[in-house]
Amino acid sequence: MKAYINSYELDSCVGNSKSLMRAIYNQESGITIDTSYMQGTPVGLGVMHYSDFFETLNSVVNEVLLHSNLDNFHDTLLLVGSSVGGMQESERHYFQDKNYKNIESSRHTISVIADSLVEEFHFSSSRSFSTACTSSANALLVAKRLIEVGAYKNIVVVGADALCYTTVCGFHALSVLSSKVCTPFNEDREGMNVAEAIAVLLLQDEKFEHSIELAGVGASSDAYHMTNPDPTADGAVSSMYSALKDAGVDAKDVDYVNAHGTGTVANDTVEALGIERLFDGVAVSSTKAITGHTLGASAGIEAIVSCEVIKQGLIPAQANLVEAQNKNIYIPKENIKRDVVYVLSNSFAFGGNNTSLLFKGAE
Amino acid sequence: MSKRVAVNILSVATIAAPIKIEDLDEKRIVPKMMIRRRLTRNTKIMLYLADKCGFNGTKIVYGSAYGELQATAGITDAILNGTQISPTLFQNSVYNSAPSYYSLLNDDKDEILTISSGKDTSKTALQTAALQALLSGEKVLCVVTECLNIANIEEINSCTNFLESGCAVVLEIANDETDAVEIALKPHEGIVESLWDIMSLIDNYEKGRVKNFITL
Repeated sequence: MKAYINSYELDSCVGNSKSLMRAIYNQESGITIDTSYMQGTPVGLGVMHYSDFFETLNSVVNEVLLHSNLDNFHDTLLLVGSSVGGMQESERHYFQDKNYKNIESSRHTISVIADSLVEEFHFSSSRSFSTACTSSANALLVAKRLIEVGAYKNIVVVGADALCYTTVCGFHALSVLSSKVCTPFNEDREGMNVAEAIAVLLLQDEKFEHSIELAGVGASSDAYHMTNPDPTADGAVSSMYSALKDAGVDAKDVDYVNAHGTGTVANDTVEALGIERLFDGVAVSSTKAITGHTLGASAGIEAIVSCEVIKQGLIPAQANLVEAQNKNIYIPKENIKRDVVYVLSNSFAFGGNNTSLLFKGAE
Repeated sequence: MSKRVAVNILSVATIAAPIKIEDLDEKRIVPKMMIRRRLTRNTKIMLYLADKCGFNGTKIVYGSAYGELQATAGITDAILNGTQISPTLFQNSVYNSAPSYYSLLNDDKDEILTISSGKDTSKTALQTAALQALLSGEKVLCVVTECLNIANIEEINSCTNFLESGCAVVLEIANDETDAVEIALKPHEGIVESLWDIMSLIDNYEKGRVKNFITL
């Protein structure tokens, strides 16, 4: 059984999927420079516009339902990937009250996202994954495998993370934040932009006219360091290679790599090396210069970007690129119009957790 | 539409304490003090359980409903008080810290998945572990830990009498379904609900019912 992505929608600092793709192709970043999180220190953040994160979540899921062949999600499994879950709300209570008394434990956890969606849409059941920045990548990996073994026909995958002080201040403590819009793969890049987003994808065992196949998935662990990637890029190569192997595809057949490309010195150096080792001239760019790094939601967002790149036959340029650090990989400065069949999307996380997803359009 | 598989339970381990588990055999399991000092409580419990299970495979499904509360509380305290956040505290705050440290310490470069499904955490961890075992044909360690012993936890804790707890099983796909039994979910008084499904499976194992059905 094959897994097809048949409906999707997102919300991000540049709006929905249509707005996001327009911003990506026009190189218009949604990052704003904020001084409130870090008490006067400027950091680039990707901020969504909502009054209630969970209401926005419901409306994005509802869009996916409306554009699907389903009447409801009663016979659909829900898989959620998130790195912080209900942390935004917990912080609000804790910073205001200076105690835990008004924090509802079930609304603090990762599973609050799944629980609220099950209540609203009556999914048959749910599971939540939390592997930091690979959370929704691993939800997609498991979704593909569950469909493959014939366990489910319909699976909704949600990647969702709201901005919170813990992540913004935490990444600042690691000295990896950029004070301006991030510049992935650039020689003099400063760091990453933390952002928030919601991505929702419906995967089914049935193929329709505009279906995109999730053709291959691969994962690995660096076993090297909790926050720094293995400088040999062995872990990154292993996850990318596993995704290609899972799909039975050669590296030369891949048309575009949507990189993890956070804009940090460590990630981009190692990811570029991994791509250099595995590919020969494939077009590579990171759309985090537009969306920021949406943490647990990022793989879901970039899965949707990958689907759109295939459908539009337009490979996005690397926004904000002046001089690439790695000259041995192809990072386009202009969008490339061409037929796109295979797109590989990378996600790498704390703990050396690597996941790569291979998307396939019509040949 | 659901698919059921039969799994053999190869080994099991559990541990819990009202406040803090005192003997996790840390010095033997992690001889290097500098590394040992950085580990989270969830990590130490997970390493202990993996060791007790005699796990020598590479695929892990880890679960925790509440994750790394100590690190998270330390970060929010630092933000509230305007003090510096420790980088180690932040790197330790992610839910997949425990299995990631396991992979570092054991040079395990295989797939590691981390589940956090509230009270259903051990149920969905088992489902995911069974899927991984089915597709890989390998043994899989399925382990869930909870460490809630942070200052002032009594302000929010209404779910457990054991602030530190964990349970683990090593499973593999059975060759056939003969004698396989269903896992009857049994409440385990005082233990965090996120552990109950694995605890119920361990109950079966201890009664000699080593082959169990898991619905994917």
